[in-house]
Amino acid sequence: MGGQRAQVIDEQQGRAAPPGAPAPVGPPPELVFKRRLRPVQVAHELWAARELVRALAERDLRARYKQAVLGFAWAVLTPLALCAIFTLVFHRAVKIETGAAPYTLFAYVGLIVWQFFSNTMNQGALSLANNLSLLNKVYCPREVFPLATMLVATVDMVIGVGVLGLMFLVFWTAPAATFLWAVPLLAVQFAFTYGVALILSVAVVYLRDVRHLLPIITQMGVFATPVAYPLAKIPHRLQEVYVGVNPLGAVIEGYRKALLYGEAPDARMTLIAAASSLVFLVGGYLVFKKLETGIADVA
Amino acid sequence: MSRDYPLGTIRTEQVWKRFRADQQRMLLRDRVEQAARRLRGDRGEDWRWALRDVNLHIEPGESVGLIGSNGSGKSTLLKMLTRVMYPYAGVIDVRGRIGALIEIRAGIHPDLTGRENIYLFGALLGLKRREVAGRFDDIVEFARLGGAIDRQVKFYSSGMQMRLGFAVAAYLEPHVLLVDEVLAVGDAVFQQRCLDRMREVAEQGTTIVFVSHDLPAVQSICRRGVWLEQGTVRVDAGIKDALAGYRDSIEAQSEASARVGEPLQLLKYEVRGEDGDDTTLHTDEPVTVELTLGGDYRGDATLHLGVSEGTSSPIFQISHEIRLTGGDHRVACVIPRLPLPRGRYTLWTGVYSIGKTDGGTLMSWHSAGQFDVFGPMLDTPPRAVVMAAPVFVPHQWED
Ligand SMILES: Nc1ncnc2c1ncn2[C@@H]1O[C@H](COP(=O)(O)OP(=O)(O)O)[C@@H](O)[C@H]1O
Ligand SMILES: [Mg+2]
Repeated sequence: MGGQRAQVIDEQQGRAAPPGAPAPVGPPPELVFKRRLRPVQVAHELWAARELVRALAERDLRARYKQAVLGFAWAVLTPLALCAIFTLVFHRAVKIETGAAPYTLFAYVGLIVWQFFSNTMNQGALSLANNLSLLNKVYCPREVFPLATMLVATVDMVIGVGVLGLMFLVFWTAPAATFLWAVPLLAVQFAFTYGVALILSVAVVYLRDVRHLLPIITQMGVFATPVAYPLAKIPHRLQEVYVGVNPLGAVIEGYRKALLYGEAPDARMTLIAAASSLVFLVGGYLVFKKLETGIADVA
Repeated sequence: MSRDYPLGTIRTEQVWKRFRADQQRMLLRDRVEQAARRLRGDRGEDWRWALRDVNLHIEPGESVGLIGSNGSGKSTLLKMLTRVMYPYAGVIDVRGRIGALIEIRAGIHPDLTGRENIYLFGALLGLKRREVAGRFDDIVEFARLGGAIDRQVKFYSSGMQMRLGFAVAAYLEPHVLLVDEVLAVGDAVFQQRCLDRMREVAEQGTTIVFVSHDLPAVQSICRRGVWLEQGTVRVDAGIKDALAGYRDSIEAQSEASARVGEPLQLLKYEVRGEDGDDTTLHTDEPVTVELTLGGDYRGDATLHLGVSEGTSSPIFQISHEIRLTGGDHRVACVIPRLPLPRGRYTLWTGVYSIGKTDGGTLMSWHSAGQFDVFGPMLDTPPRAVVMAAPVFVPHQWED
């Protein structure tokens, strides 16, 4: 004889499952898995994944700057070209009034912020969808993918700021002493951008055709945001609502005031923008973490 | 509620996992349609269970073979253990660092070089750069990557990717090592080295879960076997019992697939021992296999006879030319000394016409049935040494 045949067992639970017995149709509802997020643990995991963020960003940058001149030109020329067009159209033709600051500088400040946002959206929204095979292999907090693309966009932004410095020279002015206001504004800008990138990136995994809508959104956004014109062009009583929906409006306006006009950013608008960005960030993060659990199932 | 389990413990409690059964295209368009259907009261959702009520408790240092047919949920379970996937219900708790080789395309990122991948993987496991550097040479040496280590992983052959993936998983000192059925991509030499390495880490106290269809390999590594069938744990026992149960069930399935419409049928078969009355078979003693074939085919043909353990490839195969005359045909074969140790075996047979290259199948190769052999058990080989087939060799020791 071939030895003792194994029996159908489930000894640990002391329940025998006789062969052929109808299997239960589902788990008892109280067992259904619910994700619990512990902020400390989440922060710890994100910190542990910093190498991955760096490597992902580095890979993108290296691919882009393989031909250093072209890569650099890409980061510089796009905003410069837009800036030139805006100067022609909005300054010469539409005659946007920018007071003491040269229009070109005025528009360029807005374009830096806008380019940062749209770069992060264009790359970040696809960051999960493009890495699906990886998501099925290793565990890591998935928010590192949009984060890495934002890091890449940040490098482009730094180059853009360098060009801004050159422009200050060309126009022979200096940034106003109030430029330190840029620091809190930067935080608002990052929070909003990351929040939206989180939502879009996970949305594209579940709704693949959303990616076709992205270019439309970013192309319309440049006109829907006060990049070429001041925030004041938006009807006064709608401004608060507008900034609540699109905090970038207040951020750009704030940068201009701090860098070009030597004024403090409008406190009320900035606070609304900050609150709204926080909602986008936290809300986006929660949505992301909730949907994250199913990504491998549809990958 | 969560007790403090030691590093290397794997615990799943009442784990359920389901997938969409209807094929999904993941499009906004479809979702809108779906929502419209739902408004009309049609739920339109169809789920299928991939795992049902899986309870496992694996202690640190245990080596568990996870077996089961395709689609039984093995990979799904491993993915949930690595936290790549989440359960629908239940608790999954894996303590400590996890080294996993779940897909062939290992490595973290195809665009990064082998070297970068190794460091990145270490970082994800929570190792410091210095700690990875200390093991770097071992990994490269084990994976036999040599100069390719500074090439992008996407240019590696699948064998190289698997080697890198295994080396990384097995050398970064995980507390838990999970290996899915990917080792088969490597050549035989590398497979053996992987098994050796698994034995090594097992002896160092790493918990191992090993999925493979290479049952002898599983047996050589694992002490415990978990047999999954249609998403439920059918058997959780010692590896021998689990494998025996699994093999029996595959055999039962393969017998069920009947061959109809072939020119020859196997009417009867008998495997008997020395004595006419005593039908039990004994190791190293004479055995007679007698077959009766029916069918109206006339002509010369080759009769093949094989014996296997489980449905794997035969332990031995013998053949004989026969002349068929249209009626029932009886043929017997005597094996003077049966070279099989104690166990249950499957008898296979097939008949093919001579001289025709195609269409020559008179009775296709199939398992006729099983027989048990009594006699000595085989001696156990050292761990991680795979025995291709059980053969009893009469022998005598002298010292
Ligand atoms: N992402 C997925 N979406 C839908 N069905 C899936 C998915 N992954 C696995 N399945 C299904 O779950 C079952 C178990 O699959 P798997 O765990 O890969 O089995 P195994 O590894 O044992 O061959 C199969 O029926 C398979 O089709
Ligand atoms: Mg599998």
